[in-house]
Amino acid sequence: MTIHETSAVRGMVDHDHLKSRRLRNRIRHEAIQFGVIAIVVALLGMLAYAVKSGLAEKGIRFSFSFLANTAGFDISEGWTLTSGESFLPDFTLFSPDMTVASAFVTGIFNTAKIAILAIILSTVLGTMLGVGRLSTNWVVRNLCFWIVEFVRNTPLLIQLVFWYFAVVLRFPPMASAAHLYGLIVSQQGVYVPALSWVGGVSILSIALATLILVSAVGAIFDPIKGMRRVCVPAAVICFALLFVRGGVELNFPVANKFKASGGTSISPEMAALLLAIVVNSASFIAETVRGAIDALPKSQWEAAASLGLSRRYTVNDIVLPQVFRVVLPSFGNQYISLTKNTALGIAVGYPDLFNIYGTIANQTGHSLEGIIIVMASYLILSWIISTLVYWANRRLNPTGVPR
Amino acid sequence: MIATSIKWTRHNLFGKPLDVVLSLLVIPGVLWLAYTITDWAFASAKWDIVVQSLRVLMIGVFPADQAWRAWTASAIIGAILGAGLGCVFCFKPHHGLVLLLVPVLLLIVDGGLENALPATGIIASTILGWALTSYVPLTRKVLPAAAFTGFIVIVAVMAPPGVGLWGGLLLSVLLTLVTSVLSLPIGILLAFGRQSRLSSLRIICTWYIEVMRSVPLILVVYWIWILMPVLEPQWGLADVARGMIGFTIFYSAYVAEYVRSGLQAVPRAQTEAARSLGMSEFDINRSIVLPQALRVVVAPLVGNVLDIFNSAPLVFIIGLTDFLRAGQMILANPQYGDRTFEVLSFLLVTYFVIGSMITYAARKLEDHMATGTR
Repeated sequence: MTIHETSAVRGMVDHDHLKSRRLRNRIRHEAIQFGVIAIVVALLGMLAYAVKSGLAEKGIRFSFSFLANTAGFDISEGWTLTSGESFLPDFTLFSPDMTVASAFVTGIFNTAKIAILAIILSTVLGTMLGVGRLSTNWVVRNLCFWIVEFVRNTPLLIQLVFWYFAVVLRFPPMASAAHLYGLIVSQQGVYVPALSWVGGVSILSIALATLILVSAVGAIFDPIKGMRRVCVPAAVICFALLFVRGGVELNFPVANKFKASGGTSISPEMAALLLAIVVNSASFIAETVRGAIDALPKSQWEAAASLGLSRRYTVNDIVLPQVFRVVLPSFGNQYISLTKNTALGIAVGYPDLFNIYGTIANQTGHSLEGIIIVMASYLILSWIISTLVYWANRRLNPTGVPR
Repeated sequence: MIATSIKWTRHNLFGKPLDVVLSLLVIPGVLWLAYTITDWAFASAKWDIVVQSLRVLMIGVFPADQAWRAWTASAIIGAILGAGLGCVFCFKPHHGLVLLLVPVLLLIVDGGLENALPATGIIASTILGWALTSYVPLTRKVLPAAAFTGFIVIVAVMAPPGVGLWGGLLLSVLLTLVTSVLSLPIGILLAFGRQSRLSSLRIICTWYIEVMRSVPLILVVYWIWILMPVLEPQWGLADVARGMIGFTIFYSAYVAEYVRSGLQAVPRAQTEAARSLGMSEFDINRSIVLPQALRVVVAPLVGNVLDIFNSAPLVFIIGLTDFLRAGQMILANPQYGDRTFEVLSFLLVTYFVIGSMITYAARKLEDHMATGTR
C-alpha cells in the first residue's frame, strides 16, 4: 500500500481506480516473474549450447553411455553392486572388469563408509572436548581449549597431509607392529578384530540374527519408550545367544611378515583421512557444544546445585540433555560439511567418490557428465543427512513442548 | 604466596576425586608431550631447511631474480591490510615493536639480508598503513579506492614473469583477498534474491545457495577449471583466475547465508518506518536494511575469510603451487626427504598464527560492533 492509496480524498476510496491499479500491479509482477524465468532459461540454454559446441570442437560427444563400458582400472579398496545371477544385485569387491557405473558406486560406498564412521566418532570426541572445556580441572580445560583452537585455525588439508606423511606412514612396519588385544597398528594399515558369520544357513542362527535386527530397529524407531527400553536388552541377549551357539565369532587379525590376515583392515590412507576428519569435525562440534552450554540459563546450574546434585549429575542429567536438543541442527550442518570434506581423500590417495571421478574423467574423457553424477551424489548424501537430522530433531523436540 | 598457590592447586587440580584422577592422568602426559616437542624443536630438528627455502614457501616458483616484484606486491597487501586494521583498532607503538621482531628474528636465524630485507619492507609498509588510518581519520574515506588501486598495481607488478608462476603463501593470501572481496556483492545480491517477493527469483537463488552448500569446494573449483576452456577457449584464462572464479562462485553462497541471517535480524519496524516515509523499496534496502544487516554479520564474515584462507590449499587440485604445495615440493627433494616434521610443522604454525589473528580480529570486531548499537 503506498502513500497515495492511504491518503485518499476525505476517506473516500475510488474502488474502480483501486481495482485497475491492483490489476496493473499484478500484471507487472507476473511480467517480471516471466522475465526472470526467461532470462535464466536463456542463460542455461546458452551455457548448454556453448558447452556442447565446445565439446564438439574437441570431438567429444555429451552422453552417459560411457557408464556401461568396462572400467579397466583398479580401485585399491571398496565394495560395489553388480547385477548378479539372482534378482538381487551382488555386493562384491570392485574389480577392473566391472562397469564404470560400478566404479561410481564404489566411490559412493567409500565416501559413505568414511562419513558414517567419522560422524559417530567425531560426535563422541567433540562432545567430550566440549564438556572438557568447561571442566573444573584447570589442565583439562586449557588442554581442550588449545586443541580446539589449534585445529580450528589450521587448514584441514595440511592436517590431513600431516596425519598421513608424519604419523600414519611413520607407524612401525608389520614385523615390529604394536599388538594390543587383537588390534594391530602398522605402516601397512590398522587391523581390528571383526565379527564374522560362521552360522551357515542353520535356522536357529538366521532366526537369532533376524531377532537382533528387529530389536535393534525397535530400539531406535519404536514410538513407545517402554518398548525401546525392552528392545535394547533383547538385542544384547539375542547377540550373546548367537555368539554362544557359534553363529558368529570374533575374527582376530594375525600378523604375517608383510600383511595381516583376518579381522578388518583399515588402509593407511583411510586411517589418515579418518583421523584428520574426526579430529577436525570434533573441534567444531566441541565449539558448538560449548556455545550451547554457555547459552543455557545459569539458573539451571543453580537449581541443580540447590537440589544437592553433584557436578557430574548436573552435567549428565540436567545440562547435556537440554544441550542436545538445541545443538542438533548445528550438528547436522557439521555432518554435511564433514561428508563434503571426505573429498580431500584425493590428496592422500583414498579412493573416495571425487578421487574415482578423477580417474574416470582421465580414462574416458567424459569429465562433464561425471561432474553431474558426482554433484548429484553429494546432493543426495547431504539431503539424506539433513533429513535424518531433521527427523531426529523432531523426535527430540516434539511440537508444543516449550524449550 | 606458597599458601595461595597450594590453595589454587587444590581448588583447580585436586578439587574432587574425578579431578584428582584426571590430573594424575593428564598432567604427566602433557608434561611428557611438552618435553618431547621442546626437545625435538630445539635439539634435534634441523630448521635450516625452512630458512633456506623460505623464498619458495612464501612466493612459490616465482623466478628468484624477479622476486622484488613479489615482495612489492606483498608490501602493498601488507599496507592494505594494515590500513583496514587501523579503521577498527588504533595503532600503538608496542604493536609496531612486536611486528618488527619478525625481521630481526629472521636476521638472527638466517645471518644474511636476503630474507630479512623484504620482511622489513613488508612489515614497515603494514605499520605505515596501520598508523595512517589510525591517526588520520580522513584517509579511511579513500581506503576503498586506494585498496582497489593497490590491487591493480599488484596485478600489474606481478604479471610480467607469467601469471602461472604465482605461488606460495602470497598466492594463498591473494586468493583469499580476491575471493572475500568478490563474493561479498554477489552474496548480498543472492541474499536479497532469496528474500525477494518474486517467487521465481527466490527459487533460483535458494537452489543456487543450497546446491553450492552441499557439494565440496574441491569439486566446484575443479569443475570451473575444466568448464572454462570448454566455454571460452579463446579467452585462455590462467589457472589462477579460474581458481579465483571457482572460489568466488562457491563462497558467494556462504556469504549469502550470513547476509540473510543479518537481514532477518533487522527489525520489521525499520522497513515499515522507512515505507511510511515514502521511500522506494530499493532505497529502503540500500540505506536502511543493508547497513544494519551488515553491521550484525561483520564478525561472521571475517570468520568466513578465515574459512576461505583455510581452504586455499585446495588449489593443488588445479596444479597451483600454494603454501602447502611449495612445502611438499621442498620435501620432494630426496636430499630433504627426512625433514617432513620440520616443514609440516612450520606450515601448521604459520597457518595457526595467521588464523588466530583473524579469529582474534573477528572477536574484537564483534565486541566493537556490539557497543553502541540500538
